Amino acid sequence: MFNNLIFIILFMLGFYALIMKTNLIKNVIGLNLMEAAVFFWVIAFSDIGGEVAIHKMGEEVTKFNDPVPQALTLTGIVIGASTAALLLTLIIELNKFSGTIDRDQLEGLND
Amino acid sequence: MNKLMKKIMISVVLTGVAFALYQNFSLMPEYQGLNEGLSNYIIKSGLNDTGSLNLITAVLYDYRAFDSLGESTVIFGAVSGIVLILSRKMLPVSSKGLSFIVKRALGIMTPFIALFGFYVITHGHLTPGGGFQGGVILAAISIIFSIVYGSAFDYRRYSPQTKTLFETGGALTFLGLGLAGILMEGAFLQNLGFLTAETGTLISAGSIPYINIGVGFKVGAGLAIIFYSMIQKTFEEDF
Repeated sequence: MFNNLIFIILFMLGFYALIMKTNLIKNVIGLNLMEAAVFFWVIAFSDIGGEVAIHKMGEEVTKFNDPVPQALTLTGIVIGASTAALLLTLIIELNKFSGTIDRDQLEGLND
Repeated sequence: MNKLMKKIMISVVLTGVAFALYQNFSLMPEYQGLNEGLSNYIIKSGLNDTGSLNLITAVLYDYRAFDSLGESTVIFGAVSGIVLILSRKMLPVSSKGLSFIVKRALGIMTPFIALFGFYVITHGHLTPGGGFQGGVILAAISIIFSIVYGSAFDYRRYSPQTKTLFETGGALTFLGLGLAGILMEGAFLQNLGFLTAETGTLISAGSIPYINIGVGFKVGAGLAIIFYSMIQKTFEEDF
């Protein structure tokens, strides 16, 4: 119950930053916040109160948490980091060409 | 005033979406993943299939190793794009570094950071960790060098050519183990049977430790290249 509530709050904060903030770096932060919310929710949803899915030598563990969502979350984290790095690089180049990272002041994008 | 109206409207819309999401979550059934299907199979027979104590590593580098190959290809694509965008002028010097005290202290600390990174990489099939996590720790060393000693030091010690060599070597290790899987076991990235040893030792679990080492070098070098490309332009005006 709490997991869902925290997921919704984090996701909506990220979404708000993505569509309302005009600073492009804040937009990237919002995108990353949305990603983090989804990862948090997947991990918290698959937690059934068992141990982490790692066998220990000479010890029999009966109840494990599901390893598959954790592996998929690792994949997602790596891809999120790659996309964030690429977006920030594009923002650096944009700042060099137009002198601003505010998306309302970019020339050629105004209506 | 226009902006305030916009904010109020968007807040109302987001609150509505949040309420709808919350209502939807209350309809969701309990988590059933462990009672049936894939997760149950992996927990029951993952240790026998792969010899890896860490079942998450077993999923990443044995059952879904093809996925991990695609993942490291995504990192490679990001690094290629960033270097392509930012590399019009190769500037070896872009920051001066911090004071003498910080430099001495980090000179003592750096070998231990490297040791921890290699520990996390090589014990990926026994304890929490693996190639991606340890690679990030190794990339942190390069980032620390750039910040504390100045990026000229980082350039001299670990030049971008060396990093590219590490990244390519890691990727080729991964691909070579996949091709060896075709030749010896009959399927791409199949776990190599002749490499298995007693469960729980450092060199066990077939090809998983070697894939871990390759991925670790690849991720570490890739993130170091990304940081180096970015810092080059940012501090260019200081010199």
